[in-house]
Amino acid sequence: MEVEGGGVPLDEKARRMRDLLSSFYSPDHAASAASLPRNTSSRFATLDTINTTAFNADQYMNLLVQKSNVEGLLQKHVEMAAEIKNLDTDLQMLVYENYNKFISATDTIKRMKNNIVGMETNMEQLLEKITSVQSRSDGVNTSLFERREHIEKLHRTRNLLRKVQFIYDLPTRLDKCIKSEAYAEAVKLYTGATPIFKAYGDSSFQDCKRASEEAVTIIIKKLQGKVFSDSESIQSRAEAVMLLKQLDFPVENLKVKLYEKLEQFLVDLNLESKELTRASVDVNKSPKQESVPHSPSAFAHEASIREFAKAVWAYKVIFLHSEPQLSKLAQDLVKKHFEATHLRIMKQVNSGDLLAMLRLIWTDVLLMEEVLPEASLPDCALEYAHVAVRDYISSSFGRLLRYISDSLMTAQFTPKEGIEEEYSLQTALDAGKKAVTQGSTDALLDFRQLLDQETELLFRLRDLTIDWVQEGFRDFFKKLDGYFLLLSGKGNTTSEDVNLIEMPGDKIASGLVLVLAQFSIFVEQSAIPRITEELATFSSGGGVRDYGHICPIFRSSGETFLHLYIKMRTQKISVLLKKRFTAPNWVKHKEPREVHMFVDMLLQEFKEIGTEVKQLLPQSLHHKHRRTNSNGSTASSRSSTLRDDKLIRSNIQKARSQLLESHLAKLFKQKMEIFTKLEHTQESVITTIVKLSLKSLQELVRLQTFNRSGFQQIQLDIHFLKATIKDIAEDEAAVDFLLDEVIVSTAERCLDPIPLEPPVLDRLVQAKLPKTSEQNQDS
Amino acid sequence: MQGGSTGIGYGLKYQARCISDVKADTDHTSFLTGTLSLKEENEVHLLRLSSGGTELICEGLFSHPNEIWDLASCPFDQRIFSTVFSSGETYGAAVWQIPELYGQLSSPQLESVASLDGHTCKIRCVLWWPTGRHDKLVSVDEQNLFLWSLDTSKKTAQVQSQESAGMLHYLTGGAWDPHDSNSISLTCDSSVQLWDLRTMKKTNSIEHAHVRNVDYDMKKRYTLVTAEDESGIHIWDLRKLKFPVADLPGHPHWTWTVKCNPVYEGLILSAGTDSAVNLWLASSLGRNDSASDSLAAPPTRRIEPLLNSYNDYEDSVYGLAWSSREPWIFASLSYDGRVVVESIKPHLPRK
Repeated sequence: MEVEGGGVPLDEKARRMRDLLSSFYSPDHAASAASLPRNTSSRFATLDTINTTAFNADQYMNLLVQKSNVEGLLQKHVEMAAEIKNLDTDLQMLVYENYNKFISATDTIKRMKNNIVGMETNMEQLLEKITSVQSRSDGVNTSLFERREHIEKLHRTRNLLRKVQFIYDLPTRLDKCIKSEAYAEAVKLYTGATPIFKAYGDSSFQDCKRASEEAVTIIIKKLQGKVFSDSESIQSRAEAVMLLKQLDFPVENLKVKLYEKLEQFLVDLNLESKELTRASVDVNKSPKQESVPHSPSAFAHEASIREFAKAVWAYKVIFLHSEPQLSKLAQDLVKKHFEATHLRIMKQVNSGDLLAMLRLIWTDVLLMEEVLPEASLPDCALEYAHVAVRDYISSSFGRLLRYISDSLMTAQFTPKEGIEEEYSLQTALDAGKKAVTQGSTDALLDFRQLLDQETELLFRLRDLTIDWVQEGFRDFFKKLDGYFLLLSGKGNTTSEDVNLIEMPGDKIASGLVLVLAQFSIFVEQSAIPRITEELATFSSGGGVRDYGHICPIFRSSGETFLHLYIKMRTQKISVLLKKRFTAPNWVKHKEPREVHMFVDMLLQEFKEIGTEVKQLLPQSLHHKHRRTNSNGSTASSRSSTLRDDKLIRSNIQKARSQLLESHLAKLFKQKMEIFTKLEHTQESVITTIVKLSLKSLQELVRLQTFNRSGFQQIQLDIHFLKATIKDIAEDEAAVDFLLDEVIVSTAERCLDPIPLEPPVLDRLVQAKLPKTSEQNQDS
Repeated sequence: MQGGSTGIGYGLKYQARCISDVKADTDHTSFLTGTLSLKEENEVHLLRLSSGGTELICEGLFSHPNEIWDLASCPFDQRIFSTVFSSGETYGAAVWQIPELYGQLSSPQLESVASLDGHTCKIRCVLWWPTGRHDKLVSVDEQNLFLWSLDTSKKTAQVQSQESAGMLHYLTGGAWDPHDSNSISLTCDSSVQLWDLRTMKKTNSIEHAHVRNVDYDMKKRYTLVTAEDESGIHIWDLRKLKFPVADLPGHPHWTWTVKCNPVYEGLILSAGTDSAVNLWLASSLGRNDSASDSLAAPPTRRIEPLLNSYNDYEDSVYGLAWSSREPWIFASLSYDGRVVVESIKPHLPRK
């Protein structure tokens, strides 16, 4: 305070004053204050030490004398004298002030002394009063104590009693609740009482507990019933489940049960859909009714699905986190649907049915989707529909294939005789053609239905469907070709498609091969282009696959079949010829009397082939023209002149050792093209067979050795053939050449080649001719 | 028509059916061929391909008593060969030795080593074991199979065993397995029969095969190539006789004979009555599972098995022989007696 109160000019003075005061009032303080200057003195020998207790006058003097000059000393002296005077007055002031204070203190003490005298009595009175108050309150306390305790006890008992009452009332209350169906209340009550029952249930409240437990079981039952009953509102059912949960009822069981119920529902539904299947199969039989999409069973189905959806929804609401399970369930539903569809596809349906089924499924899916978006049913359904449509397409192609094969196979199984057969090949081919065009058109129409519909499911699959159909056609044609090859015994029997179609017997009628040949051509030339065209409209805008590479397949298999046909036929003829030439001993042959009957058989064979071929293959348009053309060519004319030469030669018995001659002839002659390119015409096929047969004849002749009669027999036979075969074969030049070759070869292999006289030859031939023509007329 | 330009021709005087490679001649590429003339004197020609490979030189010309239906050169002695012959109703088979020539070409007589008598019907062929020295010889007639024990130095041939193939089977020919001197395959009317020579019993057969000619693959065991009666060449695995392993189209008319190349696997020659020789490459041989799905594959991807067709012949080609010394050379013989030697070098698959 003094520091603040005293300004800087007062500093010196004030400090001194304070020091003085402190030394006066408290020596301790002075000592502590003095410690500071001592420190300073030890550090600096200054003149300031004058105010400290450790002031050494001599030292101070010395210091002063040493430091200051005279003037300074004098000044110091004046200063000091003034200070001393000041100090004295200060001291005086202090003394005076203190004295004043002392006097006033004494006065105060005196006054206090007087005041205290009366206080003691007052205090005593107070004490007395307080004591009496205390004793009184003690008295009241003791008098009230008993009663209060009693009251407290009573209060406790009352609470207890109330609780007991509650417990005892619980069963009735629960009953009441049950009656009023206030299950929530009941559950609340019961759960409130459970701790007590837990504690005392075994002893005091046994009955009560039993009763209330009974009530609770009833409640549980009721709640369960409520949960299961579909008529209850979803809310109340959910509540019921909540309550059951509160009652520590194993809800999981409930969940499982309910789930089972849903599953059961699904199974029942499946049955229903089977019925539906049956129903629509019936519909199938009467295709006109097919357009009625909502049969009663369909209605029933929809209703049941609705119900199911509702149940699922309820389940979902009731049991939280049950979506995965439900999703599975819903997917199962879709799966079952599609399984049924698959079965039906296997059984054969048309696309209308498929559509109906898919539509049904889609509505179901949509219904379910509303309820259960988590299951992503549309995707699931789409996936299955994918498979179903694909199945459907492949199965319809399979059916088409079977249909075609059936219609073709009629040729195989029809009896082989007479007129019946003549037409059977034709009919088989026509049936096959019809089957392939009609069948594929129908199939396309059928598939088109799949596209036109506005079913979303199918709409989404639209592009894929188009793709599949195109691919399906391609596969179909490939399979068809494979099947044909298999049928003709060309294909490898170990291939995987064998199971598809049961193989007919080992032997296949040559007629069928011809039918196949022609059919392949038909497929190549008209069926595939037509279908390509139709596909173009079918896929409307979508790129049409190139079927170009299938055509060559069919073309080549058509050729293969034609070759096969020729092979089969020539093989048969070969066997015939072989028997003819290996059986007799040609070296010991007897003179020829008539044309050998093998010629008849050969001609019969040719005739048979002719009828088969004429039924199926087209006539070559330019065959007349070609003949004249070939006659005009140098090659043929040369060979025909040669033929004449040969005829003359053989006729005029110059045939001995003609090897050189024939060599020479060959040198000049252009090579006769026997093995010309095969065409799909009657003439080409017949001519090829005839040529091949004659070539075989020649080869067989070369393996034998003949005597004169044997040679003459062959000569006669060939002569006869020459007369008759013209009507059959086309390429006259080549055939004549071959016939001559046979005679030449026989001559070469003859020990004594003397030919028959032409008149004899003619006579024998003439004798035979009417017979043959007779036979021809007969048949 | 390509064949005409490359082939080296040689004309026999008469018609002929058979030609054989002289396997034992390791210094030259030689062929033996015999004529088939009913009325003239038949000849056996020993042909040698000149060192430049541009000319066929007749090294020897020997008269043969009858028309020759089959001729086979001994695989271990170049001077020995067998013939099957007939004349009218008589028939026979014999083993001959070419006499020392001493520079003269004119037809000296063949020395008979052994006559394979004992056949009661028409003899089809005489077979030597193709792989090496073997003292056995097989002859096949229409109904019987004879196994001869041949001693060329003593000039004797004795029937070691004989077995009938059955009255119903008309044997037509056969081939001796180069990998197994005990097994032989015989062709008959409707099947190929596989015989074991130790037991002289039929061990197996390929049924319903109208086979005209068979040949074993020299390189690949268990592989048999057959020429089917009505065109077509089939390749069989002898362990799986149900279905042929591969299938070649053959010739438009009869495929008369097939010959497997002794060195290049899968190279097959076939000769047919359509006056052509076809060179095939059955490359898929063995790994031939693709035959079934060749259907599915676009036709362009199918490997064309026909490497070349030599069709510069005037008549049916019956005789065919690969040279074992120069396996890219073969000789073919058409009925008009023309021997054509061709090199298949331009068609060899690049390895």
